[in-house]
Amino acid sequence: MASSKRRMVLRFPADSVNEPITYILIKDYDVMINILNADISHGREGNLLIEISGEKGSVERSMNYLKSKHVEISPVVKTILFNQSDCIHCGACASVCFPGALSMDLDSRELRFSPDKCIACELCIKACPLRLFELNFGVN
Amino acid sequence: MTKSIQDINEKIRAGKAVVLTAEEVSAMGRDHSPAEVTRKVDVVTTATFGPMCSSGMFINTGHANPPIRMERATLNGVPVFSGIAAVDLYIGATENHPEDPAYGGAHIIEELIAGKDVILEAHAKGTDCYPLKDIKTSINRENINEMIMFNPRNAYQNYPVAVNTSNRIKYTYMGSLLPRLGNANFSTSGELSPLLNDPDMRTIGMGTRIFLGGTTGYISWHGTQFKSDAELNEFGVPISNAATLAVIGDAYRMSPEFIRAAYYEKYGVSMFVGIGIPIPVLDEDMASRLMIRNEQITTRILDYGDPDHPELGRCNYQELMSGEISLKNKKIKTASLSSIYQARKIAAILKKQVAEGSFLLTEALEAFPKEKSIKSLDIR
Repeated sequence: MASSKRRMVLRFPADSVNEPITYILIKDYDVMINILNADISHGREGNLLIEISGEKGSVERSMNYLKSKHVEISPVVKTILFNQSDCIHCGACASVCFPGALSMDLDSRELRFSPDKCIACELCIKACPLRLFELNFGVN
Repeated sequence: MTKSIQDINEKIRAGKAVVLTAEEVSAMGRDHSPAEVTRKVDVVTTATFGPMCSSGMFINTGHANPPIRMERATLNGVPVFSGIAAVDLYIGATENHPEDPAYGGAHIIEELIAGKDVILEAHAKGTDCYPLKDIKTSINRENINEMIMFNPRNAYQNYPVAVNTSNRIKYTYMGSLLPRLGNANFSTSGELSPLLNDPDMRTIGMGTRIFLGGTTGYISWHGTQFKSDAELNEFGVPISNAATLAVIGDAYRMSPEFIRAAYYEKYGVSMFVGIGIPIPVLDEDMASRLMIRNEQITTRILDYGDPDHPELGRCNYQELMSGEISLKNKKIKTASLSSIYQARKIAAILKKQVAEGSFLLTEALEAFPKEKSIKSLDIR
């Protein structure tokens, strides 16, 4: 069965913030939820940076459920470009990379980049002393 | 057993010297005594590759016809120091472009080393012997006379770890420090670092031949802010910033691989400098110094969230290199601002050069000061 993984920002209208949407997604739609960033308070519009993965049909159905709840879905199209060949392997970027996309190999002391873990928070852009990162607004 | 530098140089010339990197000798130290290390090893190579702000390069542009006595000068728009003879200039690594804070002297130095063209603009009042008042031309390494790197303070012997307890991100020369102890940045190559392997400077002094930026350079003096009275830990290593080096070398023979311009957000321009120092294993005392391991080197953790940078605790380099330290019951992610990867590369190059006989050791011409504290600046 085909599986699917999508990364998106969910924007909740103020009146649906009280509904346990992630619980319903997991329990009724059988999808895996990875919350990468959340900014939600009662009575106020909220944002959730989320990765939904699971069987293709389940992911499609969960999207329809979210739309029925008037949740605005924006796919994450921002990605970080890394000019890795110029890297000098200091750890300045890894130090601020909380999702762990940039990490230091403890044996070889080489910097590793796993783009699949990147949430495009942009902290590395300012942290890199060689300015090797840039933001890319491509289509996801 | 004791060996002199001359004895060791004889072995180097004969291609018979046993050379290890400081990391290799630290590992060897786990199951060898200092006496055994002295017998088996002749030279240990140490290295560091970190951002070192107190750096720069003298150039001499040659005289134009008619000549100019440059009084205000820029290279690619970056001001350079022209308060010396007519066409001698000093490019300070941290000087930045007035309109582009992320571009500065270090970038000019890197570009000149790499062979790129740079725009020189200079102005003067005009004198009887130097009538020209304005000049704008392009220079590169081929059409100027000298490029002499002279760095007044490099290779700090130990440096504190930076953290931030405040509620907002701090952009510092120790990198981006996340709020509420979100990360901890350090900047020393630990057991591989030159001055941590000869903490009493028995073999490192004025005139010592070193690896600088990809070529051979020399220690020209003690570095500025040199401090001999820092607190020592039980292994005789200063627990904070202490000794420093002033170094000099021919930038024509340097490589952008070991001299790299840097910019720290909202702080400014700095320059990564690669330095390596071979240390002779003269006797058991030197051997025991060179065998020092990361867990035996202590440093202080300072809070950059507070303008006074109070000390919050202490840790060792084994903890720092593990990627995590504990502070205030919290696990904090650590990262090095100096590149261990590059430092290892330098230590390996130097090891090869000494083993092949192309890099001989030097006797220091003069020892560094034994008693030197640093003063702060009173505002009066």
